[in-house]
Amino acid sequence: MTQTPGETWSVRIVVPDTSSLDAAGETVDLEVGEDETILAAARSEGVWLPGDCQQGWCTTCAARLVDGDLAHPNARRYYDEDREAGFVLPCTAKPRADTTLIVDQYDDFLEFRADHGRPPGSSKLDT
Amino acid sequence: MSDENEHGSGAVEPGDTSKRVGAEVIRERGVDPEELREKLIDAIGAEFTTYYYYTNLRMHLAGEEDYKEITEDARLEDRAHFELVVPRVYELEGSLPNDIRDFADRASCPDAEVPTPMDDSGNFDTSDLDVEDILEVLLEAERCAIRTWSEICDMTRGADPRTYDMAQRILNEEIDHEAWFIELLSKERDDEINPAGHFARGEPGDAPYSTNNRFNDSA
Repeated sequence: MTQTPGETWSVRIVVPDTSSLDAAGETVDLEVGEDETILAAARSEGVWLPGDCQQGWCTTCAARLVDGDLAHPNARRYYDEDREAGFVLPCTAKPRADTTLIVDQYDDFLEFRADHGRPPGSSKLDT
Repeated sequence: MSDENEHGSGAVEPGDTSKRVGAEVIRERGVDPEELREKLIDAIGAEFTTYYYYTNLRMHLAGEEDYKEITEDARLEDRAHFELVVPRVYELEGSLPNDIRDFADRASCPDAEVPTPMDDSGNFDTSDLDVEDILEVLLEAERCAIRTWSEICDMTRGADPRTYDMAQRILNEEIDHEAWFIELLSKERDDEINPAGHFARGEPGDAPYSTNNRFNDSA
């Protein structure tokens, strides 16, 4: 699907059954503008997703990209290997295509970051 | 009261020093004290790194004495926030990381670095450093702190009044700080008057909300 800049994209958010979020087990469909973050769009629709710093740093919002395309123009700590492994940070992620992602992946992401020597991985897991 | 259980208190046996009722009462109310403790360490990591980085930011507001003074208030109050919560980490059976690099890595907010590269001599290249760029770094650091302490308020509301009390005191001051830097950045960058409603602190870094339970009184 091709759209012009400034338009919106369909974003499907899958909340795992095992999540502690209120929306556990649900799938939520949102329309998200290309200048809007996934986290802000979800919260404005009443879907509470985790996300502390909202600057692409703390990684509490971490999610897995199933399909689609997201840009992270303002993330303070987002690495090439994150992108290659399909991890995304919805707090700063803006859609560039229709997209599906699985949210609430913080624990797995910490392990991934630790395995790749990236913060905050081992600084959190070695405590 | 039975003779066998004169000082009984729930799941903690009388005289048992391996557990803390102060932590167990939080667990009984649905909050995992270990998860909370780790989040507190992340949050005060950000207060500590901000205290450090604001020192540098303040230094580079050369000639802007009013901006320096307000940045100094925020800097010292962030240190006060760190010191306010450190004892709570230990009460919840945690500790500060032994390696300060781990502490910085896990800080819940980004490094508030001076927004300019280093030059060939290893000093800051200040040739294109603007006051408004520094004010924007300060503003975004405060916004991150507001989000972080709001999360901790959410996590502890109705379950852990001691941590909630600390978090809401800190949140009050972080919201002050955001208002200060919105006012300054609005004027500096956009020539707009956007009042913070700011009254000067009595002393630098007075920390009017968070000061009365400070780790020590030297801040």
